[in-house]
Amino acid sequence: MTPLLKIENLTIKFDGLTAVDNVTLAIGQGEIHGLIGPNGAGKTTLFNAVSGLAPATSGSFVLAGEDITSLQAPLRAAAGIRRTFQTVQLVQSFTVYENLLFGLHTMVRDPITSFIIGHRRDPQLDIDADAAIDHVLSYLDMSDLRDRVVDSLTIAQQRYVEIGRALVARPKLLMLDEPTAGLSPAQVERLDNMVAKLPADWNVSIVLVEHVIPLVIKLCDRITVLDRGRVIASGTGADISSDPVVQAAYLGERIDA
Amino acid sequence: MHFLRNNVFLLIFAALLVLSFFADAYTQYLINLMLTYIVIAQGLNLILGFAGMFAFAHGAFMGIGAYTSALLVTKLNVPFLIAMPTAGIAAALVGCAIGIPAIRVSGLYLAMVTVGFSEILQWVLKHWKSLTGGPDGVIVPAPVFFGIEFRSDFHTFAIILVVTILMTLLAQGIIRSRLGRAFVAIRDSEIAAQCNGVNVARTKVFAFTISAFYAGIGGSLFSLTQHYINPENFNLYQTILQFCMVIVGGAASLVGLFIGAAILTWLPELLRNAQALQEIGYGLLLIVFVIFLPRGLAGFLIDKGILPREQYSPARFGWFSARRRAPEKATRS
Amino acid sequence: MEIAILLSVGISNGCLYGLVGLGLVLVYNAQGIPNFAHGELFMAGAFAAYTGNVLLGLPYGWSLLFAVVVAGAIGIIVELIAIRPISMHRSLGRASNQVAIVLATVGLMIVLKGLARIPWGDSVRNLPPAFMTETISIGGLYLSTQRLLIVAVTLVLVVAISLFFARTALGKTMRATSLNITGAKLIGINTGHVYSATWGLAAVCGGIAGMLAAPLIFVHPDMGTRMLLKGFAAACLGGFGSVSGVLVGGILMGIAEIFFGRYFATSMIDIFAPIIIIIVLLFRPQGLFGSRQALRV
Repeated sequence: MTPLLKIENLTIKFDGLTAVDNVTLAIGQGEIHGLIGPNGAGKTTLFNAVSGLAPATSGSFVLAGEDITSLQAPLRAAAGIRRTFQTVQLVQSFTVYENLLFGLHTMVRDPITSFIIGHRRDPQLDIDADAAIDHVLSYLDMSDLRDRVVDSLTIAQQRYVEIGRALVARPKLLMLDEPTAGLSPAQVERLDNMVAKLPADWNVSIVLVEHVIPLVIKLCDRITVLDRGRVIASGTGADISSDPVVQAAYLGERIDA
Repeated sequence: MHFLRNNVFLLIFAALLVLSFFADAYTQYLINLMLTYIVIAQGLNLILGFAGMFAFAHGAFMGIGAYTSALLVTKLNVPFLIAMPTAGIAAALVGCAIGIPAIRVSGLYLAMVTVGFSEILQWVLKHWKSLTGGPDGVIVPAPVFFGIEFRSDFHTFAIILVVTILMTLLAQGIIRSRLGRAFVAIRDSEIAAQCNGVNVARTKVFAFTISAFYAGIGGSLFSLTQHYINPENFNLYQTILQFCMVIVGGAASLVGLFIGAAILTWLPELLRNAQALQEIGYGLLLIVFVIFLPRGLAGFLIDKGILPREQYSPARFGWFSARRRAPEKATRS
Repeated sequence: MEIAILLSVGISNGCLYGLVGLGLVLVYNAQGIPNFAHGELFMAGAFAAYTGNVLLGLPYGWSLLFAVVVAGAIGIIVELIAIRPISMHRSLGRASNQVAIVLATVGLMIVLKGLARIPWGDSVRNLPPAFMTETISIGGLYLSTQRLLIVAVTLVLVVAISLFFARTALGKTMRATSLNITGAKLIGINTGHVYSATWGLAAVCGGIAGMLAAPLIFVHPDMGTRMLLKGFAAACLGGFGSVSGVLVGGILMGIAEIFFGRYFATSMIDIFAPIIIIIVLLFRPQGLFGSRQALRV
């Protein structure tokens, strides 16, 4: 099966530092792919490069057979790549509804006239957007928060909204950057259970950056381990957890499991 | 019609219309001036309040609009109905031209670059004597519509009112559209904007363009109210006055502008011959509001529930309409 | 011959621009904000000197001291009343603290200008120059003593400030705070004192510049804004990072401005500073000596 996203020989250098070093990686269709590694390994930089925020020094990205390397961030979003951030990047002034509506930015069209006269409702468009948003909100069990301004929500709720904003656009690839950071164990478990079902429910592939290893092993079909910008291991959870190279990278020395 | 649902604006405009039947010339002049500033400040609000960009060139764009309109009428005998939109477009073009390089920097640097442009534009107005008459300024004749000269301030009020209504509707349309949401997204999280499909550079340039358009139209109206314009009308001080309107009224609030423009048009008139007092007044107003009421009077009223919050989607319910779904009050820390 | 005169004017002007620019850079490095009110501190220095010298009859040296004290005091008071409340404020929601502070400095600019206008009105005043002999002859050239004084004082001041930052405890504390404010607070540095000291020092620079410039340009309440732009241009040119860079930037600007006006277009001298600002910020925002700051995603 052709991979959804193929990253080939990606190298990212800035300020004299090589943050990502010749990384080759493939994300399969409908897969939950874990990305782990010690701090500073280059995980967030990799995310930034895939979403188009960080320029790649060399290498290529192929999404569903199309080379997207030359596309800037907004176009990569339009191509179906969405992500969440370590620090939640929502529009704090908006309500949950408006944030999700913003997630549909590439899909909602306003005829010119609606600018000038006011909002002449295009029945079809509005209903589609509203229906999509309501669907996502009920899936995330947040329908009652629809008209709440986001800055009044808890961190956990905001993380869900950020995921919702990504889902409403029906992305092909959803990248989650440490979505459980700062959550209580109960919240973590709830989020996990939801993430596990995303590929089936939304026909999306997931890349997950996480620090809690047992979580990653439980959730992910395959895992890639980065250290200092390089891929040092790749495979299933079982492969990774018994790999001495991985252990050394995390703990600095070999341990016997 | 959707227009009917915007009750607050309708009330304000209706009230002004009624008031103008009883107003003396001076009050009428002030009403005209206030409406003019509402148009101008709406443009500033779009780029500063909604898009969060510190563009200090607004006074200069206003000047371009005023001069374009005045010169077209006096030198080329263009009717005002054509001169005014042309003034808006001229200012918009300059706004776009300035915006393209200016957006490469942000924050402090954007502020200084736009101050720089503003100074240069003012210098051009002063020194291009053959075109603008230099420091002597330009006398603006009464506008003529279909052969009728609109001499009195009441007649110009009619024009200004119509224009203000149209520009307000346009602003509301923008805020509730994709474009408006893109502006706010750029202000609150440029990263989120990029990763959700917003071409930030292009949108920022458009912010410059549309705000300059408003300033240009407003400048043209300004020339009507003043009957005479000169380069000193459009200096940095003018831009700061407009900033005050936006801050005092409430950044990112359409109603807030009405409040801000009202206060800052009437206030200087009370302190008319004391420039020092005016300056101290504006400055203190700005400082006090920035410390205690950073979201302006409108923000204060929204927090108290008196005004509904600004909506960024095609309105499903008008303000004060019975069908309004009461949003759960967001408590801000 | 004429070149020498032009150079002397340019360099001394440039020293003034550098001093004003230095004040801007100090505050910007410490708090990350541009101080739009800085031009008014320049104006305050000039008026203080005028008060001291002309109205109170103090000799020049005492007037200078008086100007320094007044300017420094205004700087510290302004920071305490208007800036501190905002920077220590709870989160302002949409508006970030920095935006609020910038607007506050704009407000301060106007307030200070208005306050100056009350006693002084709109008329322009003149401060007599420092020395009785207005020009002296050096190697056949007639140079203005006032301008020589400007250059001398500027050099002394810049050296003093550099030593202050490098050698004294307070100076090092200020540098540390500007590099990492959270870290500074964590190790117990009283950031309030640092801010006061920074604004005081910046105000002193501006005030001294104002006093030195006063005999050459007219003293009036609007003199600050023009100087602000020129100081900012000097800071842009030199790069916001270094003390000596700003001075060099200022001198370069002073020289370039004079030659530009003399050989190109005199009427355009007024907009030379804005043009520099635009060109530098658009093409080389870090200036000649600054370093590009890394973008945090």
